[in-house]
Amino acid sequence: MSFLEMRYVSKFYGEGPTEVQALSDVNLSVDAGSLVAVMGASGSGKSTLLTIAGSLEKPTRGDVLVGGASLSKMPRNDQARIRRRTIGYVFQDYNLLAGLSAVENVSLPLELDGISAKKAQAAGMAALEELGLADRASHFPDELSGGERQRVSIARAVVGERQLLLADEPSGALDSVNGEAVMRLIRTACHRGVAAVVVTHDAQLASWADRVVFLRDGRVVDQTSPPPSPESLLTAVPHQ
Amino acid sequence: MTTAVLERPAEVGTRSGSGGVPARRAMVRWAWRLFRREWRQQLLILALIIVAVAATVVGSAVATDTPPPANSGFGTADHLAAYSGSDPHLTADIQGLQQRFGNVDVIENQTLSIPGSVSTYQLRSQSPHGPYGQSMLSLVSGSFPTGPGQVAVTDGLASAFNLKVGDIWHQGGTARRVVGIVQNPQSLLDEFALVAPGQVTSPTQVTVLFDAGASNASFGPSVHTPSPSSNTLNPETIVLALDTVGMLLIALVGVAGFTVLAQRRLRSIGMLGAVGATDQDIRLVVLANGAAVGVVGALIGAVLGLVGWLAYRPRLESNAHHLIGTFQLPWVVIGVSMALAVVATLFAAWRPARAITRLPIVSALSGRPAPPKQVHRSAVPGVILLVVAFLLFTLGGSSNGGSGGPVILGFVVLIAAVILLAPFCLVVLGRFSRRAPIAVRLALRDLSRYRARSASALAAISLGVLIAVVICVVAAGRYANVLDYAGPNLSSNQLVVSTAGGPDDVRGPGNQGAASTVTPSNSQAVANAREIATALGTTNITELDTTSANLQRAAPGRNWNGPIYIATPALLRAFGISASSIDPNADILSMRPGLPTTSDMQLVYGNYFAKSGPDSFPCPTGECLANPVIQTVSALPSGTSAPNTVITEHAVRQLGLQASSSAAAWFIQTSQPLTAAQIKSAQLTAATSGMAVETKNSAPSSAEIINWATVFGILLALGILAMSIGLIRSETAGDLRTLSATGASSSTRRSVTAATAAALALLGAVLGTVAGYVAAIGYFRSSTQNGGLAALSSAPTTNLLIILVGMPLIAAVGGWLFAGREVSAIARQPFD
Repeated sequence: MSFLEMRYVSKFYGEGPTEVQALSDVNLSVDAGSLVAVMGASGSGKSTLLTIAGSLEKPTRGDVLVGGASLSKMPRNDQARIRRRTIGYVFQDYNLLAGLSAVENVSLPLELDGISAKKAQAAGMAALEELGLADRASHFPDELSGGERQRVSIARAVVGERQLLLADEPSGALDSVNGEAVMRLIRTACHRGVAAVVVTHDAQLASWADRVVFLRDGRVVDQTSPPPSPESLLTAVPHQ
Repeated sequence: MTTAVLERPAEVGTRSGSGGVPARRAMVRWAWRLFRREWRQQLLILALIIVAVAATVVGSAVATDTPPPANSGFGTADHLAAYSGSDPHLTADIQGLQQRFGNVDVIENQTLSIPGSVSTYQLRSQSPHGPYGQSMLSLVSGSFPTGPGQVAVTDGLASAFNLKVGDIWHQGGTARRVVGIVQNPQSLLDEFALVAPGQVTSPTQVTVLFDAGASNASFGPSVHTPSPSSNTLNPETIVLALDTVGMLLIALVGVAGFTVLAQRRLRSIGMLGAVGATDQDIRLVVLANGAAVGVVGALIGAVLGLVGWLAYRPRLESNAHHLIGTFQLPWVVIGVSMALAVVATLFAAWRPARAITRLPIVSALSGRPAPPKQVHRSAVPGVILLVVAFLLFTLGGSSNGGSGGPVILGFVVLIAAVILLAPFCLVVLGRFSRRAPIAVRLALRDLSRYRARSASALAAISLGVLIAVVICVVAAGRYANVLDYAGPNLSSNQLVVSTAGGPDDVRGPGNQGAASTVTPSNSQAVANAREIATALGTTNITELDTTSANLQRAAPGRNWNGPIYIATPALLRAFGISASSIDPNADILSMRPGLPTTSDMQLVYGNYFAKSGPDSFPCPTGECLANPVIQTVSALPSGTSAPNTVITEHAVRQLGLQASSSAAAWFIQTSQPLTAAQIKSAQLTAATSGMAVETKNSAPSSAEIINWATVFGILLALGILAMSIGLIRSETAGDLRTLSATGASSSTRRSVTAATAAALALLGAVLGTVAGYVAAIGYFRSSTQNGGLAALSSAPTTNLLIILVGMPLIAAVGGWLFAGREVSAIARQPFD
C-alpha cells in the first residue's frame, strides 16, 4: 500500500510572463518500506517535489496523500503535526540548530509534539546510539564533523514513529564514505517499514533505492524499478 | 533502529495542533540559548533597557525621597497644637486636649543662642517613648536622658560645644552629663539638646501632638494638620511618565533590532517549521527572546540602579537634610518600570514574530527574506491625531499648569501621530528619488520599499528629536520672559553679601518660624563686607542700595520678579557704564532685553504696598508711576540676584524715595572663580555679624539647557539610526552584492549607506521638529501665564539648525565611514 501518493501535482512560481513551471502533473507513489531515489538535472523540480511531498509547500494543482490523508485541505497546524509525527526531513546542509546539543536537536520534534523533555531526550539518545553517536550526544553542532552532523540530522528525521523520510541531497556535503554510510542508514530505516524519498545527483547512491525516478523540466520522464546494480544506473540515462 | 516513543500524549493540544507545554518549554529553552549565544547582537537594546530601568530606580528614589517627609514636625500624629511658652492657658489647653483625645505627646522647646554665633539651638524635653514623637527622635550613640542631670545632644551641637558622651555640660547655670548623641531623622538641620520630660523650665514654645482622627471640628488657630499634597503630578507620576516615553522609544528601536535577529535566524526558523513547529511555536521563539532581553535588562538595570542608589543615598541625605531608609524606595514605580521593560521588548518582538510566520518554510530554509509588502499608508489618520494633539495642548495651556492631564494626553496622541505619519513620510521621500544618482536613488527606494520596518526607526528618531525640540523651545520661551527672570543667580566669580536672611529655616518640632533676629549696624555690615572682599583678594566691591520702589505689570500672567537696586554712580562705574550713556529721563535701567517695550509696566512705591486689591492700569499717582522710562543697558550683569535692573537716581529724586533708600547688600567680583574654601570662609565671616552670603547656585542657564537637550536629542537619534542602518544593510545585502558584481566601487556602497542614514536623519529631524512645534504652539497660544505665542519668538535657531542640518550631515558622514564592511558578514548566519 502506498504511504506517500502524489496525484497530478503541479507547481507554478510567479504569475503571467514571469510564471515558471516547477512541476507538471507529477504522479508518484511510495510504498511503506521502500526507498525511492529522485534524480534529475538542476532546476528539474526535484527539491520542489520533496517540499510538496513534505507539506512544506502547497501544490498549485493536484493532491498529496500521506498515510491516506490528503494534505491539500489540511489546516496549517495539522500539517505541522504530520511533519512532527510522520515525516522526517534530511537536508543537504544538515540544518541543525546551533543553540541545541546533538541529543536536543534529535529530540526537538518529539518535544514539539508535547512529549516531556526527559522522555524525548531518552528517545533521542536511543536514536543517536543506533547511529553510533551516543558519545557525541551532548556536543553542539559546531563541535561535530560533517558526517556526524548528517547522522544527527538523520536521527532527528527518524526519531519517534516516523513513517516517511524525505532526504534532499543528504550526502551532498559529505565524502563518498560518509555518503554511503548515510544511504545505509536510510536503507536500514526502510527495512523497519519507513517509506523514503531521496533526492540525489549521485547515481552510485541512487543504486541503494528500490526505484529511481527521473525528472526533467518538472515532469517524470522515466523510472527504473528496481535497478540491477549501481553500475547499470550509469548507463540508464533517460532518452533525450 | 528502534526510536519509537511509546508514551506520546494522546492528543496534546489537538485543536491548535501544538505540542502544549513541552513544546513551549522547548521553544523557550532554545530562545534562551540563542539569547545567550547572540547577546552581543542584542547589546544595544539590552543596554537601553538597563540604562532606562537603572535611571528610573535612582531617579524615582531621588524624586520621592528628596522632599521632606509630608508629616515633618507631626511625628505619627495627625494634628499638632503649637503654643507659646508664655501662654497663661497652656496647662489648661494641654489638659483639654488630653481629656478630649486621650494620648498626647508634649514637646517643650527653649530657643537658645550658641555663644559667639548667630545660630540657635533648642533645649528640648521630649519623651523618647512618646506616643507620636518617636519618629522625630533617634539615638546615634549612648542613651537617652532619663533624669534631671542628663542630656543628649545632636552631632552639630556636640561639635559647637566640643562635647562628647560622658562629658559634663554646663548650660544655663545647670550641669548635665552628656549621655548620648541624638538626631531628628526628619530634619538633620534640627540642632537640639534633649533633656528628660519636664526639665525645660521656661519653654519658648510648646508643641502637643495628638490624633484627632477624621474629626472635622475646628480646634482653633493653634492646631495644625499636615498640609495635603496639592500637586496631582507627584514625582512618581512624572518619573513613570518619562519612563514610559523612554520605553516606547526603546520598543521602536527594538522592532528594528528583533527584525534583524529574526532575519539572521531565518533558516533555523525554517527548519523548525520543517520539523513540525506550529506558527505559535515559531512566534514563541522570537517573543521569548524579546522577553528574555526585557527580563535580563530589567533585572540588571534594577540591580545597577540599587547599587547606584546605595552609593548616592548618603549624599542625598546630606543634601535633603533628613534621614532616608536604605530601602525607602518607590517599589511600585520600580516594579512598573521593570514590567514596562518586558512589555517594551515583547512589543518590539511581536511584529517580527508575526512577520516570520507568514514567510513560507521553503523561503525561510533558503534564507530568503520576505519581499517588502506594498502597503498603502494614508497620512489622514496621522494628520487627524496631530490636530487632536494640538487641541489638547491648547487646552493644557489654557489651564495654566492646572491638572496637566491634557498635556500628558496631548503627548500620547502626538507620539501616536508621529508613528502613523512616519511611513507616509518615507513614501514621499521615495518619490523624490527619481532623478537622484543611482546610490541615492537605491537608498531612498529601499527606505520606501522596506518602510514597514524602517518606519518604526524613523518614528523613534523623530521622537528623540521631538523631546529635544520641546525642551529647547520651552526653555527658550521660559528664559525669554523678561519679567519673571530665570537663570543662574550669579556668575562663579560673583558674590553678594546681604544684611537680610540668616540661618536657614529649621523645621524641627516646635521651632517652626524660628529665625535669627540679629541685625548688624550699617558700619559693622560695611566692615564685614570689606573684610570678605579683602579675604577674597579683591577691591571690586559695590554697595547695592534699595528703595521701597518695585516694578509691576498690570496684566495677567507672570509678573516682575527680582531685586531693584539704585543706579548709584559707584554701581554704574563698577560695570563700566558712563553717565553720558544714560538717558536723563530714564527711570529704570535694565539688561533684560525687551523690558522697555513691555506694555502695562508701572513703578510702584510708598503706600502702594500698604493696600491690597487688584492691580489697575494706570495706577494711582503719588504711589505709582505708569509706563516708566526703561532703558536697556547691556553692560549690567545678568544674574537673577545681580543688579540686572536698577532705578536711576533721577527717578529716586523725582518720586521722593531718598528717605527709603538704604544699603541692602554688597556685590563683590573676583578675577577668578570662587573656590569652595573661599565661599565657606566668606560665609563664616558674614555669619559673625548676622549677614548672609549668596554665591552662584546650580540653576542652569538657558544655553546650558538648550545645548544639552540638543546633544541628547542628536545622540539618541543617531543611536537609533545606527541600529536601523544595520537592519537596512542586512535587508538590502543582495542589492549591494549585485551592485558590487556589476562593477560598483566601494564608494558607491558607502554612498548608499550614507544616503540612507542622511535621509532617515533628515526625515526624523523634520518630523520631530514639526511635532515639537505643534506641541509648543498649541500650548503657548493659550497660555497667558507663560507669555503666549510671543514666548516662541525666542526660538533657539542655531540649535534647531544643528538638529535639522547638522544631524543629517553627521549621519551621512558616519554612514560613509562605517559602510566599508562587507555586507555578507551581517546578512546571513549559516547553520552549523
